[in-house]
Amino acid sequence: MKAIYITLVLLFSAGSFAQKKKPVKITPERKIHISIPEPSDICIHPDGKSLFIVSDNGYLYQTDLEGTIIKKADYKGLDCEGVYVNEENVYVVEEFSRKIRVFDIETLTNHKTVYLEYNGGRNSAYEAITFNKAKDKFVLLTEKNPIYLFELDQNLQKVNEIDLSKISRDISAASYHNDHLWLLGDEDMTVYKVNPKTYETLNSWKIPVVNPEGLTFDKNGNMLILSDDMQLLYYFKNPEN
Amino acid sequence: MKNIIYLISLVLLGFWSHAQVTITNGNHMIEISGSASAYYNHRILKESSNNHNKDRFKLRDAQLKIEGRIKDIWAYELQVDFADIAANDTGEIDPENPGLMDAYVEYKGLDWFDVKVGYSKVPYSRSSMTPFGFTTYWQRAEMVRGSMFNRRDVGVTLSKGFWKQRVNIAAGVYTGLGEISLNGDNDASGNPEFIGRAEVAYPSRFRHREIDDRHTPVPMFSMGVNGRYANKKLPEGRAFPEGAQGEYGMKVVDGTKYAYGFDVAFQYMGFSGQFEMHKIKGQPQKQNDPLYLGLPLQQTQGYFQSGGYVAQLNYFIKDYKTIVSARFEELDLNDLATGKSQRFSPALAYQINGFDAMIKFQYFNILKEESIDPIRWKEQFRIGLQLKFK
Repeated sequence: MKAIYITLVLLFSAGSFAQKKKPVKITPERKIHISIPEPSDICIHPDGKSLFIVSDNGYLYQTDLEGTIIKKADYKGLDCEGVYVNEENVYVVEEFSRKIRVFDIETLTNHKTVYLEYNGGRNSAYEAITFNKAKDKFVLLTEKNPIYLFELDQNLQKVNEIDLSKISRDISAASYHNDHLWLLGDEDMTVYKVNPKTYETLNSWKIPVVNPEGLTFDKNGNMLILSDDMQLLYYFKNPEN
Repeated sequence: MKNIIYLISLVLLGFWSHAQVTITNGNHMIEISGSASAYYNHRILKESSNNHNKDRFKLRDAQLKIEGRIKDIWAYELQVDFADIAANDTGEIDPENPGLMDAYVEYKGLDWFDVKVGYSKVPYSRSSMTPFGFTTYWQRAEMVRGSMFNRRDVGVTLSKGFWKQRVNIAAGVYTGLGEISLNGDNDASGNPEFIGRAEVAYPSRFRHREIDDRHTPVPMFSMGVNGRYANKKLPEGRAFPEGAQGEYGMKVVDGTKYAYGFDVAFQYMGFSGQFEMHKIKGQPQKQNDPLYLGLPLQQTQGYFQSGGYVAQLNYFIKDYKTIVSARFEELDLNDLATGKSQRFSPALAYQINGFDAMIKFQYFNILKEESIDPIRWKEQFRIGLQLKFK
């Protein structure tokens, strides 16, 4: 009997991978309850004074920095999972429909929609979008099985595909900050700082947040993490400081 | 027929492993997924038995699932297990693996509740509702694996989530014959079964999962209560369809049957646990019903009771991608008989690719037996591979 147990443990242990460098644990400065149900991603207005938040149930909101709703787009999407904003537009990714909706930043009217075919799992598809200034490309990421990073041109058409499955078990958000790409892993509850040209992980931090789905940075360099299940917005100090 | 099913399965599996898994036009999405698993089983028999027919390899699952969504209004699902269809052709019907696993349509367009119509799992028992592929085990606990109450049935279910999905309620009416309902007819009583369940979780919603593979940083709890009732008094001279009463003869009772139970679950930093308890009260209408065990009315008082509990603890060793579980269950099949059975079952699973690809090992140990349910083996070992593709 004992021999069987020992054999099994040895077998299983032998198959385990070499240990990676463990991410550093960080704790939030504060957290805010927000009234948006099932929030799934967040980004900050270029002026740094408001936030854009999307939800699983298909809505786009503009809020103040405390998460209080200022405006809601006249729009009902299908499983919004990613949001990115520049000086002119807000870009919303719908995981279900495989569409990117483009909204005017002032009026929040949807003036352009692009369909990007993807045949992966319904709930493992497009999950994050941001703009990679280092390569002058939008980046669109799938959640898992596998984690693809698609580079998109200015017309939101795919021009490149990179498999990032080795970084994390899944990816739930992306942001560009301080000349680096930052990724968020929901299942591993980890933030990754990534080289924007090679997509190699440079550093990582473990966050004590249940179901983290959104990631952005404010003008002071604080890192904002959004929890879907808990409906909470967490403020962390910049983990590099 | 069996050969044709195998051939079609192999062709489809081969096709889908290299092809798209979702098809969508932006509003309507069809997703194709599936799973395959096989294990080797070895039993240590009692000295009184010499039948080693369970020392064997077994194809447990060869499932294909087609799920559809039309916007966020309609959902439908068709799930079939070809391994079970083939096994059922031989006359060995396993209630845990009935062949057709899901065939339903759900409407989510109403404000107050969602409506599901068709054949699927009924809202009773957290353990029963937990998808099998997310567990460490090769077999569910005896009480919740479909021998004492139906796990699937044809009917209508109303459900709704509240308070950020921390509270979920579901209630439905079903044929009451479980997997046998797929034959098409009700029993001669013509009566349905009513089932309801409510669960609450804190501090966030708690999915029906047993393993804390995320190492949740805050303690999470869930509690559920459920109940079911059926009045299946058969007219004189009538009998239930063959197989409807199940292995222990109590899945449906010629009379009234109440069942109720509760469950609690927690998870924190890789540790997780579940406890589940059920009580069944049956009131067979005939005094010579086998469930009365031949005892006089003065002794039975016109009813029998059954029930028990299952307690399980798990830990996910993240660095080694390994899950360790231990389960203890106590079962009283019939309180009119002496004794209760007790089983202990630890299990180990190594994740090759998360829950999608796992090597699983389960050990079974019969600690005690109930007098009316003698078992011919003492220990059992089961090891195998599980693969989910999507």
